[in-house]
Amino acid sequence: MRKTLLALALGLTTTTAFAAGEHGGSHATVSDADIDRTIRFEAGDMWFDPERLDITPGETIKFEIANTGNLEHEFVIGDAEAQEAHRKMMQEMSGDHGDGGHGNHGGHDMAEGKHGGSMPAITIAPGETAELVWTAPENVGELEYACNIPGHYEAGMSGNIDLQG
Amino acid sequence: MASSSVITHPLSRRQILKGGAALGLGSAAALGLRPSWANPWGRTNAYAKGVEEGPEVALAIRRESLPVAGQQTHPISINGSSPGPLIRLKEGQDAVLRVTNLLDEPTSIHWHGLILPPGMDGVPGLSFAGIAPGETFTYRFPVRQNGTYWYHSHSGLQEQLGHAGPLIIDAAEREPFRYDREHVLLLTDWTFEDPMSVFRNLKTAEGYYNFQERTIADFFADVREKGFAATAEMRGMWAKMRMSSRDIADVTGSTYTYLLNGHSPEENWTALFKAGERVRLRVINGSAMSYFDVRIPGLNMTVVAADGQPVQPVPVDEFRIAVAETYDVLVMPEDNTAYTLFAESMDRSGYARATLAPREGMAAEIPERRQIADRGMEAMGAHGMAGMDHSDMESMDHANMQGMDHSDMESMDHANMQSMDHSSLGGMSDERNGMKASGMLAAGAAQPGSRYDQAGIGIDPDARRTLVYRDLKAFTPWTDRREPGRELELHLTGNMERYMWSFDGKKFSEVTGPLHFDKDERLRLILVNDTMMEHPIHLHGMWMELENGQGELIPRKHTLNVKPGERVSALITADAEGSWAFHCHLLYHMDAGMFRVVKVS
Repeated sequence: MRKTLLALALGLTTTTAFAAGEHGGSHATVSDADIDRTIRFEAGDMWFDPERLDITPGETIKFEIANTGNLEHEFVIGDAEAQEAHRKMMQEMSGDHGDGGHGNHGGHDMAEGKHGGSMPAITIAPGETAELVWTAPENVGELEYACNIPGHYEAGMSGNIDLQG
Repeated sequence: MASSSVITHPLSRRQILKGGAALGLGSAAALGLRPSWANPWGRTNAYAKGVEEGPEVALAIRRESLPVAGQQTHPISINGSSPGPLIRLKEGQDAVLRVTNLLDEPTSIHWHGLILPPGMDGVPGLSFAGIAPGETFTYRFPVRQNGTYWYHSHSGLQEQLGHAGPLIIDAAEREPFRYDREHVLLLTDWTFEDPMSVFRNLKTAEGYYNFQERTIADFFADVREKGFAATAEMRGMWAKMRMSSRDIADVTGSTYTYLLNGHSPEENWTALFKAGERVRLRVINGSAMSYFDVRIPGLNMTVVAADGQPVQPVPVDEFRIAVAETYDVLVMPEDNTAYTLFAESMDRSGYARATLAPREGMAAEIPERRQIADRGMEAMGAHGMAGMDHSDMESMDHANMQGMDHSDMESMDHANMQSMDHSSLGGMSDERNGMKASGMLAAGAAQPGSRYDQAGIGIDPDARRTLVYRDLKAFTPWTDRREPGRELELHLTGNMERYMWSFDGKKFSEVTGPLHFDKDERLRLILVNDTMMEHPIHLHGMWMELENGQGELIPRKHTLNVKPGERVSALITADAEGSWAFHCHLLYHMDAGMFRVVKVS
């Protein structure tokens, strides 16, 4: 598991200068030539379209994610366990029944993975389009993508990434 | 490609909404993606009491011999079942619902929560004459909304005999959540007594069904705990109110069998799922008198709609459902195991139960029932400020103090006024309180005296996450963004001992005319509960936008639960010309006179 998450962390880059800067410049910018495939993605209230993906291990994908909903959404890639851990953390952060509590999460673009690793993640404001470049890890069968803002995953914002090749 | 804006800066709600609206629905087409709501998956048509598919539906109302909870009895049936079948319509249809009365008394059906022409609303003496024995009445109306609703008789006490059922309207466009399977869960309270005799019992003996009254043993226990003076004073106050602190419900499990889809807890109605599926539960409280606290031990629930209207998802462990409310929740059972769907009556005198399982014949443990709660002093809020808890006092702002009804001011305990923090009062500017020049609160602001952050009596907020009204938040603002032009304040009043229930101290039989709304006016309805019980207040024909403090994203509802001593408000756009019913949805309260006519002209 630890290996997987490390692989994921290393595989992550984003084309966004801002996001890269925020995390201490540890990510090299990937040139367009390195991108095998661009997947256009829609994040709505409360769904992703498409709802599942088939990706070849080692493939470098550029996700272009348009938030067509009314609420902020995130796009996080990780295994089911790490996603759940992230979800729990987000729930605790939001607090219960506070003023505007549910929409009130900080826009952290690197989510903490369960074993201290991190998952590729991006937060997208309503009406915005964001990009995420990601190289699919080897030796992993299945991953999930999700929005873990409290209630969003449960309401439908998740999908499976099949990495069987 | 250069700089996609990964969000790092806070956006105002207004900006977010603008952005969302700008992209809107067109973007799905722009991206060349097929909308996935075009898939029929996610819908099931299995319902315990049968399904009638719209737009044309024929319903026959009979009184017949049928078993309820395994015992032969004489309920009212609709197309042979009691409660009635699920009626399924689709947004955009023109519904044609033919109702044939095979009873020996007049009947009616009211489509609860539907916005429709006044003649189709089904309230005898108001919308129409009612349906005479042997007659068929044809309801025709365009279906302009979607979601989870229900239908029931609006004639006498027929609803108590099972004259009710679920009404589901499928959305024309994609809903803001997705699911693999759905189940409709209709909660009702059944009595083997004649409803008329239940009503007589309530009128002649207060607490007739309350076997949980405080006894002399409780008195000595209280004395040990609180001392004699405090206990005696408390008892004295309750006596003065002609109430008992254990009046949680007026009709209880001593006569009621609580049913889920018409089945008793022992019959254990089972809803099926496959592990890993998202299951939508459409929960309807079609009870005559009973509030329920609903939970599924072992599963988290995510509330996605209230009263048929989508809300931003709220993860909860439990929710309280007032009479006539509906909530849609999503659950994701991961394991091939059985879960108990547990709906405990608010007064803890019983429960309805079903099982959520991967196959028939399974059962899970039934959770331990909680003890009946004592009504605390917050219930006295409306009966003089002495009983108000201090946090409420602090939340009161100065401008509203001035706007308060003078009679209430006089009944305020002076000592408590003095104990208020004057410095904080003085320091509050009108602007900070969201006050308008008119002296009214801004649209969407919570009224002082509201308790939207509390689920209510008998709920321990630390035990589990429980839904509260404050959590309900729409996705987008409703179309009418006007500030209210005026405020209409109504007091919920009653006398438990004489079983009199009313608005502003007047029973329906005593009022001279209807409440008047000007056509197309925007007004604020303020409800002040002067009684010590919850009342689910229902307005026909128009939505009530519950001002729960969510600003322009306040949710809209057809039924508002008003807790004892609480003051709540709703914005209404009076766009529906005609005469409409407005009443407490506790059946016997309505029948006792807690009913008014709203005339829009």
